[in-house]
Amino acid sequence: MERETGAREGLKGWLNPSKIGKFGIERLAWLLMRLTGLGLLAYFIGHIYETSHILDGKAVWDKSLEMTQTTEGHLFLALVIGMCVFHTGNGIRLMIAQMGYGIGKAERPDYPYKPQSINMKGKACIYATLGMAALAMWYGMAVMFS
Amino acid sequence: MMILRESIIMKIHYGTAIGALFLTVIHIMMRLTQDFHESLQYENVIANYESVGYAILLELLLILISVHGFNGLRVILLEMNQGPTYEKVVTIGCLAGMAALIAYGSRTIIMTNMGML
Repeated sequence: MERETGAREGLKGWLNPSKIGKFGIERLAWLLMRLTGLGLLAYFIGHIYETSHILDGKAVWDKSLEMTQTTEGHLFLALVIGMCVFHTGNGIRLMIAQMGYGIGKAERPDYPYKPQSINMKGKACIYATLGMAALAMWYGMAVMFS
Repeated sequence: MMILRESIIMKIHYGTAIGALFLTVIHIMMRLTQDFHESLQYENVIANYESVGYAILLELLLILISVHGFNGLRVILLEMNQGPTYEKVVTIGCLAGMAALIAYGSRTIIMTNMGML
């Protein structure tokens, strides 16, 4: 048998909405963890580049800052805040789960084979993280638009 | 090439995440010690960089987020595809990206801190 060397569906498999419907909120959290991680890395690289303009003097710094002082800039930063809070909250959930907390006890697999690890505690944490991300975005917008 | 076990790499990944979380909170709180827009004015940002303690915090934050971010990217890319050559290229590419970003960010921090503007 030929060895599988890659994720068969690749990015299409990531973004297929039917997978989220089929596998539930945990699948959405899995996808958002990757998307927010990539988004935050891209933002971080941009942030490092943007802050390097401080070396070019006040005029260049002010011009560079103008980009984020628009409505679109504020909305973009609010999105970054949301990504950051979700990635942090979900990351903490995953760390706790990997330490063995909140994933239930091992037991004999009986029909209908519901995995112990996918339980209400985990789902509640994901919903709470999504809620916290929304709240943080709202607070960030309140500060930036004030 | 020295090869770290994946279990060790994941511990580093989680360690850098927790460290970055604490430092990011301080970094954001610094913006809220005064009016948000005022704190981003050129003179205020220069004053931030010239403080040695804050410059050290920024440098640590730069290193922690770069290590965490590029290792995360490596993990995502290895989930997508596998193979000896591919894995080596991804690992070396991510290490190079991480080193370049740390070097570029450090240049800004060091030059601003030392007043080389």
